[in-house]
Amino acid sequence: MKQILTLCVVFAAGMGLSVEAGLLGPLGERVGHMSATLCIFLVGSLLLSLALIFAPRRALPELFAQPRWMLTGGVLGPVYVVIITSVTPLLGVGTTMVAILFGQIAAGLLLDHFGVFGVARQRVDGYRLGALVLIAAALALIH
Amino acid sequence: MLTSLLILLALLGGVTLSVQSSVNGRLGGTVGVLATAWLTFVLGALISVLLVLFAQPPRDMTLLDAPRWQLTGAFFGVFYIVAMVFSVPRVGIAAATVAVITGQLAMSVLIDNFAWLGNDRIPLDPQRWGAIALLFASMALIYFGNRKRESAHAKG
Repeated sequence: MKQILTLCVVFAAGMGLSVEAGLLGPLGERVGHMSATLCIFLVGSLLLSLALIFAPRRALPELFAQPRWMLTGGVLGPVYVVIITSVTPLLGVGTTMVAILFGQIAAGLLLDHFGVFGVARQRVDGYRLGALVLIAAALALIH
Repeated sequence: MLTSLLILLALLGGVTLSVQSSVNGRLGGTVGVLATAWLTFVLGALISVLLVLFAQPPRDMTLLDAPRWQLTGAFFGVFYIVAMVFSVPRVGIAAATVAVITGQLAMSVLIDNFAWLGNDRIPLDPQRWGAIALLFASMALIYFGNRKRESAHAKG
């Protein structure tokens, strides 16, 4: 029962991601895609800064002690948000989400296969390859 | 032509997500998800300020003129992060991934179908139902694939 409730929360969180994309597209059309992107990261930074100040664990000193390359993942965030902001109004939310899903799974498969960025190497398996083919077919149908 | 280009761009967006989560995954393991998310958002904010100032043609309307509900996107993003931190240890990554993607896809076709939030209307036609069926099948594969890897991890 608790598990089902937790899954509902996660499901709602996934719905929220689409709401976010659905809000971003029209906002970007009005105020500019870069400004819409700024809005996401600015508000997100403020919320997370608040959370971090009151979090039990003091993680910042530890964070900045990590090797530099490990701190660079975040530079890709704006690329992603600018892309969804500018693409969603033209493709619709559904097609955009399926295309993103495809890119995500395909890249994940390759990163795992070659063990990039210190990820444990895992050979391409039939499950995820099959999933990728099905998502490609869905993408062809949906748009 | 334009459409295929846009789809390619969206695919690329998915690729950046994956790369980001591999780099961040390592970081999250050592310093925690909250600090990792914080760094990601702060870096993103710094870069987007630069983009707004130097890479965006001026507009008549600014963020402060937009209706406030249109500015709430980040709340959903942060809710997602918190929800994942809370649930992955409880239900496992396999189930959590599938639940997120399912919620995401369900909501996206609803937004399109009802033209919510000021988006153009794209009706839920038989083709889209077909796509949904295919996506369900792919979710099943992802679930079982992840389950298998999780149990392999547990043993190893």
